[in-house]
Amino acid sequence: MGMTVVLEVQNLSVAYAMPGGALQAVRDVSLSVARGEVLGIMGESGCGKSTLAAAMINLLPPAARVGQGAVRLNGTDMLRLAPAAQRALRGRSVAMVFQDPMTAFNPVLTIGQQVADFVGAHDASLARPDRLAAMLDRVGIPDAARCLGRYPHELSGGMRQRVAIAAALLMQPDVLIADEPTTALDVTMEAQIIHLLRDLRTTFDGAIVIVTHHLGVIAELCDRVAVMYAGEVVEEGPVDAIFHDPQHPYTRALLACDPAVVDPASGRLPTIAGRLPDLTAPPPGCAFEPRCGMALAVCSQPVPRRVPAAGRSVLCHRGAE
Amino acid sequence: MSFVVDPALPARRGIGRALLADPMGLAGLVIVVTFVAMALLAPWIAPYDPIALDVKAKFLTPSAAHWAGTDHLGRDLLSRIIWGARLALGIAITSVGIAGVIGLVLGLVAGYGPRWLDSGLVLVFDSLSSLPMIFFALAVITVLGPGTLTLILVIVLVSFPAYARLIRTQTLTLAGADYILAERAMGARPGRIIFRHLLPNVVGPLVILICMDIPVVIMLEAGLSYLNLGVKPPSPSWGNILAEGYTSLRQAPHVVIVAGVPLVLATLGFTFLGEGLRDVLDPRGAGRRWA
Amino acid sequence: MIPVLELQNLSVDLPLGGFLTRGGLPILQDVTLSVGRGESVALVGESGSGKTTLARAVMGLQAISGGAVRFDGKAVAGRDGFARLRRDAAMMFQDATASLSPRLTVGYLVTEAFRIHRQPLPDPARTARELLATVGLPPAIAHRYPHELSGGQARRVGVARALALRPRLVIADEPTAGLDVSVQAEVLNLMADLRRDMGLAYLIITHNLAVVRHVADRIVVLYLGRVVEEGPTAEVFAAPAHPYTASLIAAEPKPDPRKRRADLAIRGEVPSILRRPKGCEFHTRCPLARDVCRLTAPDLRPTTSGRLARCHFADQHQE
Repeated sequence: MGMTVVLEVQNLSVAYAMPGGALQAVRDVSLSVARGEVLGIMGESGCGKSTLAAAMINLLPPAARVGQGAVRLNGTDMLRLAPAAQRALRGRSVAMVFQDPMTAFNPVLTIGQQVADFVGAHDASLARPDRLAAMLDRVGIPDAARCLGRYPHELSGGMRQRVAIAAALLMQPDVLIADEPTTALDVTMEAQIIHLLRDLRTTFDGAIVIVTHHLGVIAELCDRVAVMYAGEVVEEGPVDAIFHDPQHPYTRALLACDPAVVDPASGRLPTIAGRLPDLTAPPPGCAFEPRCGMALAVCSQPVPRRVPAAGRSVLCHRGAE
Repeated sequence: MSFVVDPALPARRGIGRALLADPMGLAGLVIVVTFVAMALLAPWIAPYDPIALDVKAKFLTPSAAHWAGTDHLGRDLLSRIIWGARLALGIAITSVGIAGVIGLVLGLVAGYGPRWLDSGLVLVFDSLSSLPMIFFALAVITVLGPGTLTLILVIVLVSFPAYARLIRTQTLTLAGADYILAERAMGARPGRIIFRHLLPNVVGPLVILICMDIPVVIMLEAGLSYLNLGVKPPSPSWGNILAEGYTSLRQAPHVVIVAGVPLVLATLGFTFLGEGLRDVLDPRGAGRRWA
Repeated sequence: MIPVLELQNLSVDLPLGGFLTRGGLPILQDVTLSVGRGESVALVGESGSGKTTLARAVMGLQAISGGAVRFDGKAVAGRDGFARLRRDAAMMFQDATASLSPRLTVGYLVTEAFRIHRQPLPDPARTARELLATVGLPPAIAHRYPHELSGGQARRVGVARALALRPRLVIADEPTAGLDVSVQAEVLNLMADLRRDMGLAYLIITHNLAVVRHVADRIVVLYLGRVVEEGPTAEVFAAPAHPYTASLIAAEPKPDPRKRRADLAIRGEVPSILRRPKGCEFHTRCPLARDVCRLTAPDLRPTTSGRLARCHFADQHQE
């Protein structure tokens, strides 16, 4: 696998204007994803993962303000482009798949019309019915030609998600971002979408970014994982290292309380006491310190980013134990 | 496990305070409060008796003694306008209020009650609102004779079907909501569900609609009174003042102008207030959600 | 011992609004299950399996077309029967926030059951405080409105409200849907504590198998409105007797990158209830289907290991 970086987020900070002050949703995040790689962004609600995903495709809501940093796609900072140039990139070079694909479709147009509209806006030759059908077929939609004539409500959630993925892939984007792509689906559909996305890695030449709170999805699908807490990436590394040798206390705590890993006979599940800090006034030191079982006096000081091994980084005062 | 109350969560904002923050709502509120105060305080603030004749002083233009001038019988126009506010608002608020209560109850019953009752009530609403309003009003007035009570009756009959239908539609939507289902699962009886859980959630839009309807009713009252079918002269209804003003439009145009201004202001005031309330009460409006 | 809840051949039809056509579309067919005192039973299936319909039918929110609901050994029928059931059994809804009446405070909502069932409530504020304390919420929450609660808090308020009249059975529809992992763990621990302290029985409706493994003594698997397998949770997870159960267990994403699945456990989607497959209803998706499965519908039969499964080859899979 070549290590050509496609998308690079550099020291990005994003804040939302709120009545009580600016809510700092993403704080000094640096990440990169290479061609052919699947990056997972994992964290609980309020950790800033969806804001980060929106920034990656330059689709931040109007209330969001980029404080500093850059989002470079093949070296070009998307945040500094003129609006027209941004629109051209969106969909063409970066595509996004949402949690509930129903909301992404117009209920009164057929699947074929919408997908053709979407890709035709960028490249009319792609909107030919045979090419659309071929792509639907590739994402595992049975009877793809007939599916083009159906309306969104006639498809199940899993099928709509497949169509959304197909539409995103038709443009052959450099980066595909999927925000909670399986959260609205049943287990069996979830397994099929995971399977499909994993399958695509071999044929799709771009990078995939999966944003989710579901640890199982990350473990099944990703090569590399970034764990977010309170707007920061607290730990990053290869998926195996994150799941089998977590270094940050938050990553450890999060993995520990998943009922899927806990022995059912043990009865009680571990929990993480306390709650997220107020992000309108984030602490100068470690954001996890008040909830951390291993906190030291130094933890209220600004945290250095350690690199315990190649390809890994941890935002924690404590050394490897 | 610790669950600390987060001070960052906003407290429920008062409707009043939110309304004051909205310039249009504030303007509406000020105008409406002024008119209501005028109506309530009429006996004390009106400088003259509104029906006292002084034929020698007819058609006086505005002056220090008569701020708004006098009409063809020498009655003080300002006093008539102030007393007219009492009449106009009294009729409008009473009739729309009665119509609102009837509409609320019937709409809730139609929306949450059994299917046959719903069908029957919808038939009543549709029949009443299919009648042309003016024709219906004239018919009722012909039978019962003109007067304040007839006017109120006409307005109630004409306006409650629209309120009932609004409430019914909203009730139907909410009847399938999770919290109504949850209340049923707890064993709540229909009366409790209707009055404690449905009513507070459907009443907001009705308040807005009523507020926006009050100027319509004031106009209707003025119109019918102008046609001598509403409030009987010499009562100082704004419509009567206008009607009498028209007969002498050439001699004394100030009469019509003076009677027209409060009508326009009251209409604007209630409309602004209604729109302000809509912005404040509508849960989809901004300011009530946090990220 | 008499079970708290028994469903005997429960069927629910969705009425088809035709003028000449009578009857309806079967959503639940012949479902028989029981929940013992203090027992926790999980009802598992994909969307469209009828699990939410079953919960609603038990609470009398959905008309049943056949069979019976028995509570404490007595058949539940009529307005009085359901009124009693709704006092002694409580329901937790999937969307906890949406199940709280939006214009009322938490303090009122958690004590409302007393008012509904005309039970003595001498000091509502104190009762509210006590109920909130039971679920680990501070007293100040009593003055909040539902939209001011976080997902985890709303879920706890839902539990507190369900507990108000000390029910013997709680029906929980996806009790952890939409919650973060750490909050989910807190809610599951709370439910386990309450069961131990109050002797509650649970009927938990979920598609999250990790949750099932943690909280359920017994598991009932539904497919297209029929029970396809039933048995003790540990045994079912160790050796599922029905291929559908096996597929569900295999489909669950495992939080361990070293245990990735190579192939797909199950293909296709749940068929529409408008076009139920002939023979065994699972044969269209079953990796093990044979000719007999396309022709003959299997019955729900005891397996050699003493569980129930609706499969012609139940005993063979387990070996």
